[in-house]
Amino acid sequence: MGPLTAYFFRDRRIERTLGFASLFLAVVLLLAQAAPVAAGGSLDKITERGYLIWGSDAEGGAPYVFPDPRDPSHLIGFEVDLADAIAKRLGVKARQGQNAWDSLIPALKRGDFDIVMNGIEITPQRKEEVLFSLPYYVYTEQLVVRKDDNTISAIGDLKGKKAGTLSGTVAQEILTKGGGIDVRIYSGQVEPYEDLAIGRIDGVLLDLPIAAYYGKTNPKLRYAGGPIGEGYYGIAIRKGNDDLKAKIDGILAELLRSGELKRIYQKWDLWGPPQEKLTRLYREKTGFVGLEESRKAPLSTFLPALLKGAGITILISSTSMALAISLGLLLTVCRLYGRPPLSTLSTAYIEVYRGTPLLIQLYILYYGLPNIGISLSPVTAAFLGLGMNYAAYEAEIYRAGIIAVPKGQMEAALSLGMSQGLALRRVVLPQALRIATPGVTNDFIALFKDSSLVSVIAMVELTKTYSILAASTLRFFELGLIAAILYFCMSYPLSILARRLEERLKGGGR
Amino acid sequence: MIRVRGLRKSYGGQLLFRRLDLDISKGEVVVLIGPSGSGKSSFLRCVNGLESFEEGEVTVGGIALHSIRGRSRAEGEAIRRVRLKVGMVFQQFNLFPHMSVIGNIVEAPVRVLGVDRETAAIEARKLLRRINIEGKADSYPGELSGGEQQRVAIARALAMRPEAMLFDEPTSSLDPEMVGEVLSVIRDLVGEGMTTVIATHEMGFAREVADRVVVFDKGEIVETGPPEEIFSHPKTERTRAFLSRVLPG
Repeated sequence: MGPLTAYFFRDRRIERTLGFASLFLAVVLLLAQAAPVAAGGSLDKITERGYLIWGSDAEGGAPYVFPDPRDPSHLIGFEVDLADAIAKRLGVKARQGQNAWDSLIPALKRGDFDIVMNGIEITPQRKEEVLFSLPYYVYTEQLVVRKDDNTISAIGDLKGKKAGTLSGTVAQEILTKGGGIDVRIYSGQVEPYEDLAIGRIDGVLLDLPIAAYYGKTNPKLRYAGGPIGEGYYGIAIRKGNDDLKAKIDGILAELLRSGELKRIYQKWDLWGPPQEKLTRLYREKTGFVGLEESRKAPLSTFLPALLKGAGITILISSTSMALAISLGLLLTVCRLYGRPPLSTLSTAYIEVYRGTPLLIQLYILYYGLPNIGISLSPVTAAFLGLGMNYAAYEAEIYRAGIIAVPKGQMEAALSLGMSQGLALRRVVLPQALRIATPGVTNDFIALFKDSSLVSVIAMVELTKTYSILAASTLRFFELGLIAAILYFCMSYPLSILARRLEERLKGGGR
Repeated sequence: MIRVRGLRKSYGGQLLFRRLDLDISKGEVVVLIGPSGSGKSSFLRCVNGLESFEEGEVTVGGIALHSIRGRSRAEGEAIRRVRLKVGMVFQQFNLFPHMSVIGNIVEAPVRVLGVDRETAAIEARKLLRRINIEGKADSYPGELSGGEQQRVAIARALAMRPEAMLFDEPTSSLDPEMVGEVLSVIRDLVGEGMTTVIATHEMGFAREVADRVVVFDKGEIVETGPPEEIFSHPKTERTRAFLSRVLPG
């Protein structure tokens, strides 16, 4: 602790008090920095690393990418097959990187993935942001309506009615341009069909593969009219990464020529007349693995995936709580005992972090900081985001604890010749922390549950695992119960601990 | 030993001391009496730097404390050195509840003076014998009676080997049956020649142990003198008025 802190604190001993907290903080920040940023990169980098990170959203992702109903910890889908085929030809393995669909391109740009392949339509706007490979799939839009609704047979019939689609898709543009249609935007591809079936909306316009998987399979729904529009899915690559683009274009051409692409599409029942634009080849269909099977799978098949998610939840929560506890202490001591610039800064930190939504703090950390050249890995961003937010709350709990310690305690310590720092460390803080402990434990429980928010920054923890699995199987209820039980199993021991601590505290004395 | 000159102090805009002077010599036992709020406690707290003051000078064992506004590092160090010379005992005991009796006593010698823990513990046990609660060394303050707590607080202050002791109404929050045991410890201390300043409402005790009695009223010293003179022949009307209120008959 240098002359800087010497200025900020009236007393050298306080510096030492802060020593513990700041040392811990330093270690933590160092680790955070050392944590590898899964930086997507050039061809050389991919080869060197030995795997290709391809970004996609497995939530409600059939038949593109979704958990295997027979082994939910494992992803399948036509894009998984395609990614494997491309990686194989690059001489590496393919590794899926998870993120919400509408955040895939931003995540690619900030370097989380090497490529993004997830039904990304090649549009002029997107071409401004990223490079696109040759098209790998020709999509059409398909309107789906209820079987008992005879009034709609084309887009034109939707005037004055409610139609659902996904945000940021070409289908959304078509519906919006249609005029007079009440367009409802969804973030997952399962929900619009669910809402359609129960009558909340009157039609869903989405890409054919989605319609085939989630619309056609529902006995209450039917296709209305033929395919509309036509466009291409392309693999998105970060600008400037032209060598990777060239390589992938070559691989796609080869896959097409050799018939491997067609075999993949046939396996998923995606081969149809439009694909002949990509190639003249065309063969018989094979059945596809689908929802029917996953709807019947025993719940135990989902447990490994959910447990893995729970593990990540525990990891994220406990590390960020450790950060919150130490940073919170530092903030409180600065706020109560620091000189003006330091105390004001601490107070400002606490007020700002408590006064703004955690979700926005996470977005800024993860998607905002890259704009100024700081790119954090998802784990680091989750850890910092939760930890820095909760630090503000812990600081206030500690402050309440310190205030609750009678003034006479500090005076008695001072009168014995102790410095303010020593008195704080040996006399006031031990009592204050004891008072604060139940509150801190309660916050830990809250943090456990808030950790589900980090799914927005590409972390697949328990809640995200649940929503991915539930969307692909439509078993929201049973899987939801299991996930809730897992959360409860994790937080209940903490509640018991909090209660014990509280009782011990009431016991006084010791 | 203790010299106070021209002390001026206000409390939240209200003037408490206009200009206070008092000298206490080595080995002297001075008892401060006067109505509640007359400034006895504040005076003691100014002497060991727990309260700041606007003007004047407090000198303890040759170390001078000045007005403590905007205290500098050097001034802070001076306050600490003064506190090492004078021990303080509070009305509310202020024992550290999270430490055992022995822990309370050895804490400052070990942390402040750098005495090793074992030596400090041996000294602490001697002190506990002196105040007659040897058996409670490992108890916690919450398990002791008020009288026992106050005796431990005295032992805690003595463990720093102070040159003077300040007592701020040491028996005021005790049950009547415990007052005696605390006063007897102070009596022994006085008997050993310790420089002592006591703010108290125990008039009998004041009369018994004081070399000099100082009467405070509304932030002023209205009278000072040997106990016989103050209690039997008070010179000022204010002293008479105060004594007639507190003394029976």
